[in-house]
Amino acid sequence: MNFLQRAIKNVTRKLSKSVLLLLTFFVIGNFVIVGLGVSQASENAKTMTRQKMRAVVTYEVDYDAINEYINSLTDQDAIDEFYSNGYPSIKISDVRPLLEDERVLTANALVHSQLYAASGNDFVHLGNQVEEEFVNNEMCYIDADGNEVCEPYSQPSYFLKANYFPNMIEFQDGSYKVVDGRFYTQEDIDNNANVVLVSQALADVNGWQVGDVIDVFTLDPLSYNDPSSYMYGIGLTEEDVKMSLEIIGIYTHNQAITPSSDNFDWTYPYENPDNMLLMPATSYMNFSLAQAQKSYDYYAQQYPDDPYYSDPANYPSIENTSYISNATILLSDPLDVDGYVADYSGDIPEFMMINANNEEFERLSKPLDTIGLFANFIVWLVVINAVVIITLVTALTLKTREYEIGVLLSIGANKLKIIGQFFVELAIVAVIGFTLSIFSGSLIAGKVGEVVLDYQITESGVDQESDDFIGNDYISIWDNDYTTDITLDDLVGEYNVSISPLIIAEIYIVGLGIVLVSTFIPSMMIMRFNPKKILMNQN
Amino acid sequence: MAEILKLENINYSYIDGGFERQILKDLSYTFEDHKFYTILGPSGSGKTTLLSIISGLDTPKSGKIYYDGEDIEKMGLGKYRRNKISIVFQQYNLINYLTALENVLVAMSETDNKLPKNHKEVAYALLEKFGIVKTKADRMVNQLSGGEQQRVAIARSLASNVDLIFADEPTGNLDTATEKEIVGVFKELAHEYGKTVIVVTHSDSVSELSDQRLLLSDGILKDIS
Repeated sequence: MNFLQRAIKNVTRKLSKSVLLLLTFFVIGNFVIVGLGVSQASENAKTMTRQKMRAVVTYEVDYDAINEYINSLTDQDAIDEFYSNGYPSIKISDVRPLLEDERVLTANALVHSQLYAASGNDFVHLGNQVEEEFVNNEMCYIDADGNEVCEPYSQPSYFLKANYFPNMIEFQDGSYKVVDGRFYTQEDIDNNANVVLVSQALADVNGWQVGDVIDVFTLDPLSYNDPSSYMYGIGLTEEDVKMSLEIIGIYTHNQAITPSSDNFDWTYPYENPDNMLLMPATSYMNFSLAQAQKSYDYYAQQYPDDPYYSDPANYPSIENTSYISNATILLSDPLDVDGYVADYSGDIPEFMMINANNEEFERLSKPLDTIGLFANFIVWLVVINAVVIITLVTALTLKTREYEIGVLLSIGANKLKIIGQFFVELAIVAVIGFTLSIFSGSLIAGKVGEVVLDYQITESGVDQESDDFIGNDYISIWDNDYTTDITLDDLVGEYNVSISPLIIAEIYIVGLGIVLVSTFIPSMMIMRFNPKKILMNQN
Repeated sequence: MAEILKLENINYSYIDGGFERQILKDLSYTFEDHKFYTILGPSGSGKTTLLSIISGLDTPKSGKIYYDGEDIEKMGLGKYRRNKISIVFQQYNLINYLTALENVLVAMSETDNKLPKNHKEVAYALLEKFGIVKTKADRMVNQLSGGEQQRVAIARSLASNVDLIFADEPTGNLDTATEKEIVGVFKELAHEYGKTVIVVTHSDSVSELSDQRLLLSDGILKDIS
């Protein structure tokens, strides 16, 4: 008849006591499960939604900080000095250290430009209204006298996306895929290689293959041939605006524009993702530098007295022309975003910021945060109360066992075995009570979760604005926003109160921990006396 | 006869109403094995206190107790109670949610002494020896009479196979016939089973049947056999 057998006998033979204790554990278990279930559902919904979002952060100019700084300046000279140093801009050299982190997959630091097709080359046609209107390569307008004036005008055929880093987010996340050839490498970037990737559709239209060299123009060929044009005036020649690029890769994408796409009729050829060219940003910037220098020289001649043109620091160079509006960094795990932002926000230059772009996520998740906070509060309240209640119940129960403790001690029973017996007795009842509460608690938690979530959404008013944030299908090539639009429905859809094995394990571990503590303390309180005193208290 | 329990200069006192009350004063005595002792004394003389101290339920203020030459404090009082002695109480002190058999088994499971493996059969046999047949042995102890419960307690005291048995007013709650029966059992234990039995009692009829009668008076033990 060891302590385990005694414990089982006690539980089964003192049934009314066992049932009362079981009910206590059952009720406590229900409260804890509801609290933990609702709390975990809130966290899970946020985590799942966060995982759905692209793991992107942006390195960008902090305009708010600049405005705040300027507003804080009271002296006009100080304001002038601030602007004389140039408006804060993003330098590629500042972005590089941010990419050395192992959480980073790739980054887009893009330069955009419209490009013109060389004679004989075509673009991928959409057959929409815009293409019909510009078919005559003329732009017409009504002059001051009311006459229609038409001038030669070429539409840009292509759109250039040039990245300062090898690989692009689009290729990393699978929205673009190289089907032939390769993407440009760091070596291509460093050597300003005149290489390009074209879409499969564009390659098919023109019969291009990997290895072909194609010509594209950075300016309208009509304008540099037109003596009245500005470009002609500053002396730009065909060689200045013609890029000869070797096709090193052909890619496909999932951004096809169809007649059902938003704004289909007013999508210009260069806005069609099929007409997009991808090349190293260094190569493009190196090419466009020549144009900038020629323009500078022209104006320096025209305006010799202008101090701007007499300052050599203003002469166009790679350093003072290569800037980007922002850099988008793709991380491997969306859940790393906040940690990454926190890690690097202190190490970046003044007036720059690393943006997690999760303002909308945080706004929409407010009801879940409130529920989570409320549920955590409930859990702590219940756990604290449970400790007190279970300790008191155990203490009262053990008080009636003082006699038995005295008897067992008088026959030399080990104190730990006596505590072990009481623990096992309570643990058996607790495990049954908690197990039953898992079933009932799951049902209650589900209902409570729904009611509280509905109430919180209504109270917080986030549902009033949710429609504004629903994304659409419109694809903008200028759009560097790689963040994912989320809606309240995304979050609510992920809100699912279920009792995970982790919660069940927590219930058992915490519950049995409380039982152990609440058994140990009262038992030791009784056993601090010698057996004679314990027995005398009873007799 | 060999020495089994030796008390050396035992002192015990407690504070009562602000005054120290000395119960045992430099008490020394040596108990021999295979004997049935009774300790007599008027109420409040400290009989139960003495029994508690020599059975390791309480500790003296000073003095030493040696079991078979070994200081019981050094041995550990728990171990001493578990392996060397057993106690029969006036109130029987059985565990009420267990059967008579299970109460005996508890003692068997707690001791470190070597016992036969078939605990259950040994326990049944012990109980039967003291008049508790199998059908009664399987009853909850609170369904037994006082005499039967005391027999269960005695059976329990023997179950752990110890040599020294203490009893505190074991017949205090029993009628005369049962008292005689129980005292007979103690005598049998001492003489036939080679146990040393020390019984605290205020009953002359019990003490008359013992081998050695001791009187606790003024804090010391006197042999009045």
